[in-house]
Amino acid sequence: MSRYFFYLVFVNMIANVVASVPKILLEKKSEGAIASMLLSIFLGLALCYIVARFFNSFPGKGLPELTQKYLPRWFANLLLLFIASAWYIAGLITLVTYTFLLKRFLTPDMPLVWITSIFLLFLSYGVLMKTSSVLYTIELVLLCCIPINVLIMFKSYVTPELEWDFISESIMHAYELPSFTALSASTYLLVGGFNLIIFNRFFTKKHKITGKQILFIGMLGIGSLLTTYFIPIGMNGFESVEMIAYPWIITADTLRLNLGVIERILFVFLLLYLAISFLSLLIHWHVAIELYKSVITFKRLTYKGKNLTPLLFIGLFWFGSIQVTKYLTEYQLTLYTSYFYNLLLCSLIGMVGLFWFIVRRAKS
Amino acid sequence: MLFKNRKPNVEEELEWLINELKPSSDILHKPLRLEDKQIELVYIKSVVDGAQLQQIVIKPFFELASEQHVEAYLKSLPNQQDVTSKEQVLLELTKGSVVVRLKDELLLFDIKKVNTDTVRETNIEPTIIGPQYALSEDIGTNLNLIRQRYHKPSLTVETVEVGKKSQQSLAIIYDMEYVGEKVLKQIKSKIESLDQPVIQSSTQLQRFLNGRKRSMVPTMMMTERTDRVVYNLASGKVILLLDGSPTTIIAPAVFWDFMTSMEDNYGLYWVTKFSKFLRYLGLFTSLILPGLYVAATSFNPEVFRVELALSIAGSRIGVPYPSFVEVLFMLIFMELLTEASIRLPKAVTGTATTVGGLILGTAATEAALASNIIIIIVGAVAISTFVIPINEMSFAIRLVRYLLLFAATVAGLAGLALGLIGILMYLVSRDSFGQPYLKLFFEKKKAETATRVKPS
Repeated sequence: MSRYFFYLVFVNMIANVVASVPKILLEKKSEGAIASMLLSIFLGLALCYIVARFFNSFPGKGLPELTQKYLPRWFANLLLLFIASAWYIAGLITLVTYTFLLKRFLTPDMPLVWITSIFLLFLSYGVLMKTSSVLYTIELVLLCCIPINVLIMFKSYVTPELEWDFISESIMHAYELPSFTALSASTYLLVGGFNLIIFNRFFTKKHKITGKQILFIGMLGIGSLLTTYFIPIGMNGFESVEMIAYPWIITADTLRLNLGVIERILFVFLLLYLAISFLSLLIHWHVAIELYKSVITFKRLTYKGKNLTPLLFIGLFWFGSIQVTKYLTEYQLTLYTSYFYNLLLCSLIGMVGLFWFIVRRAKS
Repeated sequence: MLFKNRKPNVEEELEWLINELKPSSDILHKPLRLEDKQIELVYIKSVVDGAQLQQIVIKPFFELASEQHVEAYLKSLPNQQDVTSKEQVLLELTKGSVVVRLKDELLLFDIKKVNTDTVRETNIEPTIIGPQYALSEDIGTNLNLIRQRYHKPSLTVETVEVGKKSQQSLAIIYDMEYVGEKVLKQIKSKIESLDQPVIQSSTQLQRFLNGRKRSMVPTMMMTERTDRVVYNLASGKVILLLDGSPTTIIAPAVFWDFMTSMEDNYGLYWVTKFSKFLRYLGLFTSLILPGLYVAATSFNPEVFRVELALSIAGSRIGVPYPSFVEVLFMLIFMELLTEASIRLPKAVTGTATTVGGLILGTAATEAALASNIIIIIVGAVAISTFVIPINEMSFAIRLVRYLLLFAATVAGLAGLALGLIGILMYLVSRDSFGQPYLKLFFEKKKAETATRVKPS
C-alpha cells in the first residue's frame, strides 16, 4: 500500500486516545472490555483488509463514482448522504470532545463557542483543499507529532507511578463475555482505512497489499489498544478509573519531565493531541464534504467560475457544530458517542456487503 | 536569410530604416567607397563598439582587393546575424547591430558595446566554500557563464523578447533531456501572454509570471549563483534569464528549495546536516517565539515550569500594557530597523543601527516599555530570520510571523498550534507550475514527481 494509506489508519488510531474510546472501554472494564478488544483486533483488521483490497481494485475511484455507476441513482445518492452524515458526526464528536477538553484544561476562560469557532475557521480552509493537499498536510503534521507521541508513551511505560498490580487486577476480567459497545468502540480505532471512500481518488496506481503490512497495522493496533486501556488503569487504579471524565488527560498529568522547559507533560500532550485531533477532523470532514458535493451541487450557485456549494456545506457544518457544542454535556457526549460507534460498526459491516455487491456488478 | 529575392527593395529598406531612426542624433549612415568597391553602413553609434567595427568591417574593406573579396570576407564573419524582416533589423539595430549594404543585399552584424558585462562577486547569497562569482548584467556574458559550467549538448537556450516597449531579451534555458514538458509549456505560454510595457528585473518578471495577484510565498526562486543554476538545470528545472538583470529565475521551486544553501552540497555530511537543522530551527523560532511569548504570558503561564513562568512574570513588572502590544511594539521597531538598514545608503546605515540598537536595547526596558525577555526574544527572532538562505523566503516568513502572533493573541497556545497548522495547509495547497509546493519526499524522485519526462 501507499504510505498515505497508513497515515489514514494511524491518525484514526492515535486520535481516539483522547476521544471517548478509553472512557467507553474503562466503563466496561468488568463487563468484557478485554475480550472485546481482542475480538476487535481481528474484526478491525479484517475490515481494514477488505476495504483496502476493494479500493485497490478500483484505482483512482472513490465511493461516489462507484455507487453512482453500479447502483440506481436515487439509492446511491441516499446512501452517500447517509455515509456523509456519519462521517460528519464522526468529525463532530472529535471536535466537541476536544473543545470540552480545551475549555477544561488549556483555556478555561475562553467561551466554548469561541474555541469551536477557532477550530472551525482553520478547518474550513483545510477541508476545501485538494485531496492530495490534505494527505500531504497529514503526513507533515503526523511526522512532527510521532516523536513526541513516542516520548510520552515511553515515559508512561517506564514511570514508577505505573502500578502493574492494577493492570494485573484488570486482566482478571479477561474471561468475561465481550460487550458490543466495547467492541464497537475499540474497533473504531482500526477503521481509519474506510476513509479510502474518498481518498482512493488520490491512489491512482494499483498497490500490493502484503501480509506484512496488515501485520504491521495489527501490531500498532494492538499496541495502541493496550496503551489506551491499561496505562490509565495502571496510573489511576482499577477501582475508580471510570469515574474520571478524561482518563488519558489525567494520566498524562501524572507524568513529569524533570528537566524539561515544560515540566508537566499534560501540556505537551494537549498540544500534541490538538494537532492530531485536527488531522482526524480534517480527514473526516474532507470525506464528508466531498461526499455531499458528489450528491448535491447547485449549478446556479457560481461566482467568478467557482461553485459555491461547498461553502454552503461549510456554513451548515459551522451551524451544526456550534449548536451541538452549546447543547451537549460531557456525560451526554460519551453516551451518544457510544451509540454512534455501535451504529457505525453495523453500517461498516453493511458497507462490506455493498462492496461485495459492487464487485459483483463490476465483474458482470 | 537575405533579401536576395527582393533586390529592388534594398534601397527602400535602407531608406525606411534610416527614416525610422532619423530624429536620433546618434544614428550614423556611412557610405564607404574606394575605387570600384562600395558598401554602406547603418548603425546607432552609442550601442555599437566603434573600435571593433573599425577592426572587423572598415579596415578589411580598404585592405581587400575587390568587392568579391569583401563580400566573401563579410559573409564569413562569425557575428553575422540572420535577417528575417525589416522590423527585426530595426530592433537589432537598437540593440547594437550594424547593417551593411553590400550590392543588393543587407547584411546584419552583431557588434554590440556592452558596459554591463563585468561579473560581480556574490553578494545576495554568499557562501564560504564554492564559486565566489555570480552573474553580470549582460545576457551574453551570463549565458557564457552558465554554458561554461554545464557542458551538455542537450542544454537548450531559447530567446524571446518580453516587455512590449522595452523589448528586453529573455533566455529560457533548460536541459532538453530532463526538463518537465508540462512545466516548460506552462512557462512558455505564461511568458507569451505577458503584456507589460517594461520589465526591468527578474523579480518583476517573477511577479508577473506568478499568475496570482496576491501571494504570500515565492513560488519561483531567484538566484544569482551559477552553481545553483547548474544544479537546478541538471535536475530538470527551467531557468529564466533576463537581459540587464544579474539574477536568474528558477521554476518550478518548492518550499525546501528555499531552505537549501548551495554549501549543503559542498560540506561534510554531518556538518551540513547540522547547519540544515539550525536553519529549520531558526525558521521555527522566528515563526513561533513572538506568539509563544504572548500565549505564555497572557493565556497559559502554567505551561512552563514554575521558575521560568515566574521569571517571565517578574521581568514584565511595570510594563503598562498587555503582552501582545509589547511584542508588536518591539517587533515593529525591529522590522523598521531591518528595513532602514536595507534602504539607506551605506554611510548612514551605521548610525541607524546604533541608534536603533540603543532604543531596542536597554533604554526600552529601563523605561519599562518592554520586558527584558522580550528584548531577547526580538533579538533571537531577528537573527533566526536571517538564517534562512533565500532572501525572498525570509521576507515571507517575516510576514507570516504576524499572522501567528495574531492567532496566539486571540486564542493562546491552541491558536498558535492551529495557526501553525493553518500556515502549513496554506503552503501545502499552493503549487508551483503544477508541482505541489510543500510535501515530503521519501521515495525516489521519479516516483514522487509525476510530471517528469523519462530520459531518452
